[in-house]
Amino acid sequence: MPTFKLDGREVPIEPGDTIMRAAWRQGIEIPHYCFHPGLSVAANCRMCLVEIKTDRPMLMPTLKWDPEKQAYVPGGKPKLTPACQAPAVENQEVFSKSPEALNAQAHVQEFLLLNHPVDCPICDQAGECKLQDYWYTSQGKTKRKRTEPVHKPKAVRFGPTIVYDAERCIACTRCIRFCDEVAHDHVLDMRERGNKNEITVSPGRELNHKYTLMTEHVCPVGALTSRDFRFKARVWFLRTANGVCNGCATGCNSYVDFDPRHNKVYRLRPRDNANVNKFWMCDDGMLSYHAIHEGRVLQPRIQNGETRATSPTEALKLASAGLSKTNGAKIAIVLSAGFSSEDNLVLAQFGRTVLGAQKFYLGANGGWEGDNILRNSDNNPNRAGALAAVAGAPVGSLSDLLADAESGAIEGFIALGGGVAETAEQLAPLHKLQTSITLASNVGPLEQIAHLLIPVTSFAEMDGTFVNAKGIAQRFHRAIHPLPGVTPAWQTLIDLAKLMGKPLALRDLAEVRGALPSTAIGTGTGAGIGAQEASR
Amino acid sequence: MEPIYEHEEETALELPSEPMRLNMGPSHPAMHGTIKMQLELDGEVIRNIDIVPGYLHRGFEKSCERGTWTQCFPYVDRLNYVSPMLNNVGFALAVEKLIGIEVPERCKIYRVILGELARISDHLTCNAAGCMELGAFTPFLWFVKVRDWIYDILEQETGARITHSFGRIGGMAKPPTDKLKQAVRDIIPQVDKVLAEVSATLVRNRIFMDRCQGVGTLSQERALSLGVTGPMLRATGVDYDVRKAYPYSGYETYDFEIPIGHDGDTYDRFMVRMEEVRQSCRILEQAIERLPDEGPINVDDPRIILPEKDEVYTTIEATIAHFKIVMEGVKPPKGTVYSYTEGGNGELGFFIVSDGSGTPYRVRCRPPCFLNLKAAEDMIRGNMIADVVPIFGSVNMIGGECDR
Repeated sequence: MPTFKLDGREVPIEPGDTIMRAAWRQGIEIPHYCFHPGLSVAANCRMCLVEIKTDRPMLMPTLKWDPEKQAYVPGGKPKLTPACQAPAVENQEVFSKSPEALNAQAHVQEFLLLNHPVDCPICDQAGECKLQDYWYTSQGKTKRKRTEPVHKPKAVRFGPTIVYDAERCIACTRCIRFCDEVAHDHVLDMRERGNKNEITVSPGRELNHKYTLMTEHVCPVGALTSRDFRFKARVWFLRTANGVCNGCATGCNSYVDFDPRHNKVYRLRPRDNANVNKFWMCDDGMLSYHAIHEGRVLQPRIQNGETRATSPTEALKLASAGLSKTNGAKIAIVLSAGFSSEDNLVLAQFGRTVLGAQKFYLGANGGWEGDNILRNSDNNPNRAGALAAVAGAPVGSLSDLLADAESGAIEGFIALGGGVAETAEQLAPLHKLQTSITLASNVGPLEQIAHLLIPVTSFAEMDGTFVNAKGIAQRFHRAIHPLPGVTPAWQTLIDLAKLMGKPLALRDLAEVRGALPSTAIGTGTGAGIGAQEASR
Repeated sequence: MEPIYEHEEETALELPSEPMRLNMGPSHPAMHGTIKMQLELDGEVIRNIDIVPGYLHRGFEKSCERGTWTQCFPYVDRLNYVSPMLNNVGFALAVEKLIGIEVPERCKIYRVILGELARISDHLTCNAAGCMELGAFTPFLWFVKVRDWIYDILEQETGARITHSFGRIGGMAKPPTDKLKQAVRDIIPQVDKVLAEVSATLVRNRIFMDRCQGVGTLSQERALSLGVTGPMLRATGVDYDVRKAYPYSGYETYDFEIPIGHDGDTYDRFMVRMEEVRQSCRILEQAIERLPDEGPINVDDPRIILPEKDEVYTTIEATIAHFKIVMEGVKPPKGTVYSYTEGGNGELGFFIVSDGSGTPYRVRCRPPCFLNLKAAEDMIRGNMIADVVPIFGSVNMIGGECDR
């Protein structure tokens, strides 16, 4: 592979690489704002200026102060090149840390901060802001300009999700390029020039496509802020777990940012994965974390005639009694395309070995539009994993379940809750069944019609695996702690089997994962494209 | 330690003559901190001794690995808490060496002044306690009286009498006050007066001499092989002082001498400390003359020194500087450094490892007390139990530094 030298280090070149991209692939950071590996090259921020060694340097005439002569003397400095735009050429020598390059970076940074407002204390970007980082690494000087900064509009509503602050904006056009190139919606553009330069929404439009939160995410500074996250948390208090989005069958890799002090998730961010989501996530996916804290099933509930909360111990006893008095072969096993492969596998095994059940059904979400960018037309994260759990046995839909309940072919069900396309009214006939148990993290139709509702952990409170539409099995990790007494569904089912006197062969997560079919075994947490752009 | 009752015969009729084990400390007035001595006694004579430190559970080195570099200063204050300023300066110099910066001349002189005041208070405390434990209560009060006045100066400068937390990477927390020079000029004669009074009444006192001379002798070879430094080493006749051997903060430009003893006994250690106080006064006199009234006290780098508050509130660069230093800390380059200064009890070294982040990767302290403590076993062994008190007093073990 051809290479070039960057600050004395050999860097391999892939066809079409710029200096910046080749360095980025190796995890070397050349300071930059406008460059983003998933977007086209703009070369407008000038932060990545580097010196390229050549036999005939283009020298710009300069005057330099000579302290000995006490006068300005003519000199020359080499013309610098933006690393994000200059193609990497074999055997070329590039210096990003030469005195001239460092000088240029320091001055570009000084210009970018020239009119910047004193906003760090109230800015959500503080702590992960490139302006702060590069001030420390590249500038390190206090202000020289003593005049009033240019003022521009603040807190401009761009749409339902995004607020724009023109004073903080450095006009790198990452958000414009994102809308054009990834979301294919030319809704943002630039107006005016120089000091008055600012981002604007197309006349008559709002920033309201399906990927608006990504504009906030690609913004290297605090100009675009998400109304969802604005003023909610300071980023240095947040910790991060690797997650997989459960919004649709694409299975975008995410970072789950949570505050361990409050045991609360505050946002999801895309995690690079070249094979799945590249650098992006959609709005619905990034906002799906709300389900971790809203509409949760907090306590086991009896909903059979009397409606009351109960304790986890009593709930398991009731479940055991209910399942024992019903003919096991007539109990429907309702898997969920929203639950992890582990949960579905253990439920299928529980049905087969403990109850002797033969009929499997799958609850799945509906009513969602896919697109050709990221959003899969199937809005269930794990349909493939749930189907793999029964190893080829026929799996009916919930309408099949309703029909079988009508005909008397089944007399009860045990279900993994999750979202389903049917409404509670449509499912109401199931309430007449002799036994009905739903394990769920959030309230939904299946939860409303069950006689017994047992809470289980949400995806942020457990380790698990989702298999996406392409058949890629991806693991996600626990971020926050579950409520006391609440366990993952697979664990609850193992406990229930033990209580019923027919313990399963599986005892812990490792054994459950060992029993997963090969198509559903995740390996690690996905392949990152580059470590450098992982966070921003 | 050897088992004590190894050759005991249960039927022996004589009076018990086998060694007796006695625990002195960890809670004992003569232990100068929480420390235990396991003595093996043959009558009144100490046949063997094992000194057991480690009762403080400070975890200073580990604690340093969770805050920023600047946040280590309160921890180092509590190393040798009798002369905290010397620790502050020592740690600051270590991080500055790692970053590769040098503080302005005014700051160097200021550090020398505060450091020498701390050294005087350290030596006075040690000798005061030594006198008192031998029954000489009056010299104790004289010494502690002057020490208190020195604390007054340090309080006036730093706001705290003992744990100042006054050092900063690249400078000091505040510039010297206007009153510093006069205060130091006033205190030097007072120190001289106390030294003269003690010299007149105590150092030729027969009882004091008998209790100290030839007691707790440490040979030069043994001291060197055990890594003993500071007044304890100099009392054995080795003229090793970091201020002269490897000068820092401009010590090479001051005119002072290193007092040495010749016997390495308790008396020599007492006298070396007395003389070092005089030498510190000499340094103070010179430093006070040199200290400029104007000029920067901190290095001129907003990445290291917090900017002024009015700048922080009005300019973005200073806001970012403030944010970076407070939230992430000063970031020394990746690397390791060993930096050493003359502390109150000897060579105070910091071996620090930086991974390039704002948090120390490792802060290892070479505490002079800990190495001196090992030598104390040699010094005490073979003496009478009553000699433990003056010998151990002259080691000046400070628990905070010993256990880290």
